[in-house]
Amino acid sequence: MIGLDVGSTTAKKVSIEDGEIKYQITGTHNWKDLVTGIDGNDIISTGYFRNLVPHRASVTEITAAIYGVRHYFPDADVIVDIGGQDTKVIDVKKNNFIINDKCSAGTGAFLEFVANYFKIELKELGSFHSRAKRIPAINNTCGVFALSEMISQLVAGYAQEEVIAGMHYAFARRISFMIPEAQNLVLIGGTVKNKGMLSALKDILQKEILAPDEPQIVNALGALKYYC
Amino acid sequence: MPVQKKIAITALVPPELIFACSCEPFDVNNVIPGSKKYPRNKLCAWTAIWQEMLSKREINIDSLIVVAGGDCHNALVDGQKVSMSGIPTHFFFYPFDGDPDYLESQLYKLSDFLGNIVSPEKPGQIRELKKLGRKIDKERADGKISSSDAFRIMISFSDLMGDLDKCREAISSVKKQKIDLHNRVALIGVPPIFHDFHDVAQSLGLAVIFDELPFEFISHSGTDIHEIACDYCDYTFARPLDFRIKFLQEELEKRKVEGVIHYTQFACHHMLEDDILRSKLDYPMLTIQGDLPGNTPEQIKLRLEAFREALERS
Repeated sequence: MIGLDVGSTTAKKVSIEDGEIKYQITGTHNWKDLVTGIDGNDIISTGYFRNLVPHRASVTEITAAIYGVRHYFPDADVIVDIGGQDTKVIDVKKNNFIINDKCSAGTGAFLEFVANYFKIELKELGSFHSRAKRIPAINNTCGVFALSEMISQLVAGYAQEEVIAGMHYAFARRISFMIPEAQNLVLIGGTVKNKGMLSALKDILQKEILAPDEPQIVNALGALKYYC
Repeated sequence: MPVQKKIAITALVPPELIFACSCEPFDVNNVIPGSKKYPRNKLCAWTAIWQEMLSKREINIDSLIVVAGGDCHNALVDGQKVSMSGIPTHFFFYPFDGDPDYLESQLYKLSDFLGNIVSPEKPGQIRELKKLGRKIDKERADGKISSSDAFRIMISFSDLMGDLDKCREAISSVKKQKIDLHNRVALIGVPPIFHDFHDVAQSLGLAVIFDELPFEFISHSGTDIHEIACDYCDYTFARPLDFRIKFLQEELEKRKVEGVIHYTQFACHHMLEDDILRSKLDYPMLTIQGDLPGNTPEQIKLRLEAFREALERS
């Protein structure tokens, strides 16, 4: 049995073999590579395309996140899942959730715009951030207008890494508006690998943030755990 | 027999009085969920679409009643735009404090606008029809008819389909079914702008057993202006939030709902009520927001499915 998370940008497969979590990640368009030779009856799917891939059972990303996070952090009370096209905040204790999928400013797509603008890899944003000496204020809550503001800050003399750090803060501020009070806040999703964003969010929320070592596979694991 | 005047209404206006004045009410909102219009210059799509359709004479009416006080502020402006396009328009105000004397004076003004009461027997006939409407509501809550059938009938009570006989026939044509009532939810707020919402919710395992606004449509009546004023002054959407919340608490408890879906409309002031409703209604609550009419979007379906999973976890 595998957990398969086919999201808007990436597809993830998780299985548990001899108690050890095994996983594979690929682009969504290559999702079929993950299930070669696997019977649909052995797949528990989740993610945006959960109902379009072969599956024995499917579960929404919200429930999958709860089960997946519980594996790493049993006491998590709020989960923030920053995906490529949306951000979900799940209040586990209150059994409540909110999703932002109307505005790109608080989703992975926003940071992708930034990386594309600077012609760097998405995964490099964190190391650029760590070199910033100053952090310009970028106030726009709209992703498109924030990009215009970013260009203004470059013209005003801020260095590339400083503007990137400013964008991380703008992004984190946007996310922070969605997050309720929490004892144990857990972040998941590919964007969490970006240490710059993580440090900006910690700074804004003024609290410790927990994140699994591989935050991208949590929902695939959760789908599996939900069913098995 | 003189030709009945067709009177458009933008929200609940006592249909008893419109029929009694021998006019045919037409709730303009009923055409919106099936509309494919993309209105220019919009905040809320509900009002923007009817404004555009009325101003361009795409809906044939003789005059318009705008519920300007106690319902929707966008309607106040969009109603004036229709008025400026040349359609005779009357602005109707509910009392925020529920004063029946004030509402009675409003109803007399409305009666003057409509040409005065000539069919005084109509309100009594409507009262009988509303009893059938309440039976539909109860049967839905008991799992004997589908939520989409119940919604379709109950939402029609704002204008009674413009024809009491037609409305009676529609009620009697509702088919009895055996509906699974797992995950009993209440739908509060303005009605969803998506025409298939109730069917979608049911297909995703949610049993909508209460529709707040349509329930209001079947709840009020009266056989003359005084009685109508005394009853309609408790129309909850026009009253302060604490009044509406108390009504909701009672109805939700009576129906033993397990969760609440709060539908909100993009650019609608009712969105601001969400945090208050969440704090006062002690149920798991899902807030969804719609904008343009059509099918229920995939993003909303995800939320509904996740909400069903959440109810099953609790």
